[in-house]
Amino acid sequence: MKKKMYTLLALLMVVMLVLPACGQKSNDSKKAGENSSTSSEGEGVTKLEPYKLTLVYPGDAQKDLALVQEEMSKYLTEKINATIELKPIDWGSWTDKTNLMKISGESFDLMFTAGWFGYGLDVSKGQFLELTNLLKNQGKDIPTVLGDDFIKGSQISGKSYGVPTKKEFAQGFGFLLNKALVDKYQFNTEGVKTLEEMEEMFKTIKENEPGIVPVVSNKFANTWGAANYDNSMISRDSKELKIIDTLEDPKFIDFLKRMRQWNLNGWFDKDVVTSDTSGQADNMIKSGKAFAIGQSLKPGKDKEMTVTMGLPLVQVETALPYTTTGEANGAMLAISRTSKDPERAMMFLNMLYTDAKLLNMLDWGIEGKHYVKISDNMIDYPEGVTADTQGYSSPGGWMFGNQFISYLWANEDSDKWEQFEKFNASAERSIALGFTFDETPVKAEMAAVSNVDKEFQMVLNAGAIDDVEGTIAKYKAKRDAAGFQKVQEERQRQLDEWAKASQ
Amino acid sequence: MPFATRIHKPLIHLFFLLFSVVSLMPFVLVFMVSITDESSIVQNGYSFFPSKLNFASYQFLFNDFGQIARSYGVTILVTLLGTTISLFITALFAYPLSRKDLPLRRTMSFILFFTMLFSGGMVPWYITYVTMVGLKNSLFGMIIPNLLMSAFNVLLMRSFFANTIPESIIESGTIDGANELTIFLKLVVPLSAPIMATIALFNLLAFWNDWYNCMLFIDKPELINIQYLMTKTLNNIQFLVMKADSSSQVGELLAKMPTEGVRMALAIIGIAPLLIAYPFFQKYYISGITSGAVKG
Repeated sequence: MKKKMYTLLALLMVVMLVLPACGQKSNDSKKAGENSSTSSEGEGVTKLEPYKLTLVYPGDAQKDLALVQEEMSKYLTEKINATIELKPIDWGSWTDKTNLMKISGESFDLMFTAGWFGYGLDVSKGQFLELTNLLKNQGKDIPTVLGDDFIKGSQISGKSYGVPTKKEFAQGFGFLLNKALVDKYQFNTEGVKTLEEMEEMFKTIKENEPGIVPVVSNKFANTWGAANYDNSMISRDSKELKIIDTLEDPKFIDFLKRMRQWNLNGWFDKDVVTSDTSGQADNMIKSGKAFAIGQSLKPGKDKEMTVTMGLPLVQVETALPYTTTGEANGAMLAISRTSKDPERAMMFLNMLYTDAKLLNMLDWGIEGKHYVKISDNMIDYPEGVTADTQGYSSPGGWMFGNQFISYLWANEDSDKWEQFEKFNASAERSIALGFTFDETPVKAEMAAVSNVDKEFQMVLNAGAIDDVEGTIAKYKAKRDAAGFQKVQEERQRQLDEWAKASQ
Repeated sequence: MPFATRIHKPLIHLFFLLFSVVSLMPFVLVFMVSITDESSIVQNGYSFFPSKLNFASYQFLFNDFGQIARSYGVTILVTLLGTTISLFITALFAYPLSRKDLPLRRTMSFILFFTMLFSGGMVPWYITYVTMVGLKNSLFGMIIPNLLMSAFNVLLMRSFFANTIPESIIESGTIDGANELTIFLKLVVPLSAPIMATIALFNLLAFWNDWYNCMLFIDKPELINIQYLMTKTLNNIQFLVMKADSSSQVGELLAKMPTEGVRMALAIIGIAPLLIAYPFFQKYYISGITSGAVKG
């Protein structure tokens, strides 16, 4: 009898604990909805009340964050009578922390998001406000700055929930090469190289440089895949919106056989299967023990990586640049449903695309203290300040607004943004630009399939198995058992729906 | 000495010696990496016998010692405060539970036990502390949630009191006219040094090692504790490595992260004080656990 009472009591308590949590959540979202609808009706209000905006983004809290915040607030008070709180959250704890912020209904206005950073999920949960109306009113400069492709690419089911950063709008594909060796053997790195041309280089290195690995890690297979398929789902050559299975594509099978050949030729490092994930590949490049590594590219990528890796590198393209949804929604700012004044948040966003002074404050800090101007749009460290001692190291210009109006550093090309414009214009758009696959309906299958992928992809990409076709057959059988067909059907269904909606 | 013991003893010793060595190795390796030259790490990987020694990592850390010193201060303050309060509360709960003449003893034990089996879940837990209690960005955010009282510690202490303190001692106190508080402070506490030290050590470790609360409740850099300072660096790197393929910018961020040597040096700085404190507690440690457990 007593035992039963206890069980009952325990059950009761569990129910009591769970219920309020659910209740609160639905209440909150309702409230937010009401708020936004009532406030958007009150348009044309002439005088703005003071308001504090909160901007949440991933990154380290900088020493001089408070100073920059104050300076931005001063400027914003003049312009839109608002102040700002910058709220950087560490990359590693981002998921935990922001999830709790979202669920507990904490109030914040703007949040960084991206396709690879939970954008789709947050939108499906209703975390971000739909921006169509706001973009028409308070944010009307943004679509002009970005252009249609960017806006379209970042939409979900034809609606904008975030505004993308204007930055490189495509991915290039190829290798980073050790510059010393390129110069020594006078390899030509201009233009787009075929794989055969690349193989010539690797062969030369293999024959003449015994201590050096021609190609390090199996990363190039990913690069090649991204250059030939939109998200491993749609073939770049195809003009028809059809989901394909890369393992059935003869082009891909040939590529895997080629990787096998590379492996047999002894062109890879000995830990090729794992050296990318373990970081060993980078180390080999750094120490000059390897010649080439697969890499997604953009103009000036080699210069950037030269600084990072600490030895001169050159980039070489193996395919023309390609734009998929992933580029359009690669970095965005969204307005939270818990924002108390979405209009003001949009005004701020609009300024990030048009007001160079504000954007550069956010990107680089305070002029004279964190940087000095050396020409109209070029900056450098003030005297006596270095990268290690500065008080505000940039959170990353690629996260906010219009990167094309942010200053360039003395060591960068002064025409970087023109190069970017050219690169963006030259890139081929995917026919499925703007389509995002929502994984939720087939989540379990996706997880199972990705486990199978892990088992086979690494070895196949590294050409570490003799019988390529046999392995692919095994791979396919295992993947089918994990429910791959269901995933493919769901993909096709969503793609068809998207095509219908976007016509 | 019988033959069997003569064989067994060295074997057992050997086993534990090996075990100790295996447990120690990682620490030694971490230390060695922290004083290895960065270029040597890049070329040869981790090694117990680095080809080139370099104390640059420690120099780097001590250059910008402000943050580390502050974090240390936070950790020490939180640990001392937390351990004291926690020990106090635990003892005050455990002692009455050990007395058979306490009214509602079973109900209270049940409530205590219940918290070991069920929790309110992450989200309500967080909402309670942030919106209702207001612990965001406060030192108490690192003291109160989860750590202040552990049901397990209370049970451990209760069985110690119930089994090691003879009832007649308490009775003798009552006969001499002492009230409950005097009995507890003058008779029970002095007799319970082993369990107090054990629980204090448990708490000390829990508070010292905790970074989770700091991650959830603290945004301000000046309130970050030393463990989170380390954890976040490692977490950031891990996360960015995982996402490196999805965005070309992530690679640039990765490049700005501290070098291997610096990370290892941070780890060494983080554990050093505990290594020093541990031997002082060890004397009580073993007797505390066994007397609580065996007779309980």
